Amino acid sequence: MIQALISGLLLGGVYGLFSMGFSLAFGVMRIINFAHGAMVMIAMYLVFYAYTLLGIDPLWMVLLAPVAIAALGSVVYVGVYRRFVGRTTLQQLLAAIALGLVLQSLAELAFSPETRALRNSWGSHYILVGGVFLSYAQAIAFAVAVICVALVELVLRFTRWGQAIRAVADDAEAAEIVGQNAQAINLGAFGLATGLAGVAGTVLVTYYPFNPVVGFSLMPIALIATVLGGLGSVGGAFLGGIICGIVQQMTSALWAPALQDLPLYGLLLVFLAFRPYGLFGRRAAH
Amino acid sequence: MRRRDLLVGGGMALAVALVPFIPGINSYYISVIVRALTFIMLGQAWNVIAGLGGQLSLGHGVFFGVAAYAVAFLFNGFGISPWLGLWVAMALSALLALLIGLATFRSRGVYFALATVAISLGFEKVARFLTAYTGGDAGLAVNFRGTAPWAMQFRGPAPFLWMDLVVVVGFYLFTRWLLRSRLGLRLQAVRDDEDAAAASGVDVFATKMVGFAISAAMTGLAGVLHVQFYLAIDPGTAFGLFQAIQIQLPALIGGLGTAAGPILGGAIAILLSEATNWWATVSKLQGADTLVYGVVLLGVVLFAPAGVMGFLRRKRATPR
Repeated sequence: MIQALISGLLLGGVYGLFSMGFSLAFGVMRIINFAHGAMVMIAMYLVFYAYTLLGIDPLWMVLLAPVAIAALGSVVYVGVYRRFVGRTTLQQLLAAIALGLVLQSLAELAFSPETRALRNSWGSHYILVGGVFLSYAQAIAFAVAVICVALVELVLRFTRWGQAIRAVADDAEAAEIVGQNAQAINLGAFGLATGLAGVAGTVLVTYYPFNPVVGFSLMPIALIATVLGGLGSVGGAFLGGIICGIVQQMTSALWAPALQDLPLYGLLLVFLAFRPYGLFGRRAAH
Repeated sequence: MRRRDLLVGGGMALAVALVPFIPGINSYYISVIVRALTFIMLGQAWNVIAGLGGQLSLGHGVFFGVAAYAVAFLFNGFGISPWLGLWVAMALSALLALLIGLATFRSRGVYFALATVAISLGFEKVARFLTAYTGGDAGLAVNFRGTAPWAMQFRGPAPFLWMDLVVVVGFYLFTRWLLRSRLGLRLQAVRDDEDAAAASGVDVFATKMVGFAISAAMTGLAGVLHVQFYLAIDPGTAFGLFQAIQIQLPALIGGLGTAAGPILGGAIAILLSEATNWWATVSKLQGADTLVYGVVLLGVVLFAPAGVMGFLRRKRATPR
């Protein structure tokens, strides 16, 4: 029980990290980035090859991978998403799915569809704390996730840039009138959102086996975590992720591992029906 | 109906119906046409809620799969003929749509899209788990009876071609009627501007619910014909996300919200799918087929949102 609770918490932290960028892109630009998972997947390959070919420890890549993925995100923003900013249309959702498919199949062509795992010196270590097994990699991932959510929330709340992002999110036109360049702010925000995908991929790869479809297959959890936390809320997405992780591990321990995701879908439907703005979302925004 | 449409449409349908009579034709080609017709049918069904109603369902695989499993289950378990089973299957699909709609249609469109993704993946997981009823990963095979019209089973693909053709023509006529009907006009009003539609007295929620249920029932019929043709269904084919994405191609390529669009788009999409399958096999590149799908989808959405029909209409509209 306690074991399931703790591993759920740790896993949930990474789910939260995964979902934060997804939620941020929606909160600021009303963009549902279905390709978010594909970007996480690309970060995983990046870190994997940096380790196997160049011997760079995954922990260092926490700083490098987000930059690379943010660069990719910026290209995608300018090429595809820029024209959809501010309205979630059918076309935008389809464009995002198409983009995810393209990234995923490019990865299949480049890296082959086989599933791999990164084996480094500390990835499979376990520590025993008070009778509970803790995976070293999962604990590090959780710590990184907490640092990230704190940093992003602080940046959004207290820096000029963060305030500009929130201003553009609230009302892009009004923000432009008072001298903000909404396009530049959005580009930066999308870079931040995809950079978070880069961090998520980096910590995930240290203990999670991966293949080109891993990003897509993790997207449902990101969707659920984001809806639970309130679509658009970064901190909410993190907490939503933790709830998902705990529910999943508890179901797995008490019922059946194959059905570990099922209560999550139920939870999603209940939230959509009765509380679509989530635990922390603002009702006015919806 | 204009005489030109009648001639072109009727001529095309007749030509397709006569294909099995070409002397010495390889039944592979007939199977490809059956596949194309199923593809078109799914596109026509999806078009009702997505094209006319503007609601992006990414979970249409659920209706396809539930109907296919229902018919197979009724036949294997209770010997109920698929001709009866198909009504149960369509009703189940529609009922499921109403349940999903009940949970999601009161909030904004984006939640609907998210919910449908999650639901279809949830169904896939359950189908893989309930091995006793669904056959798990391996899938469920329909008991084979040889050529048995009462069981909707035939040794050759030709009867399926005719059945599918009747359904496609029926769906086409239905869509044409729907576009002009009160319900169709309400759906289009909801798609174009929900607030304006509500302000002019359209019950937005009820309109979406009815449109979604109709679309789901149509998808269910396609699922029944699919399972009878292949006599097997598995969780990936039924509920997989790829299936849900494929369903969108015909209407998107052909032209969202038009009656003829899914037919044109489905024909183009099947050629595309055959070509990429061939290419993926020849080049031994895994992922090549998905890449083509993604690129085409992205290209259509970004550069030709009105599809082939939009292109044809623009051409007709420009003065010569």
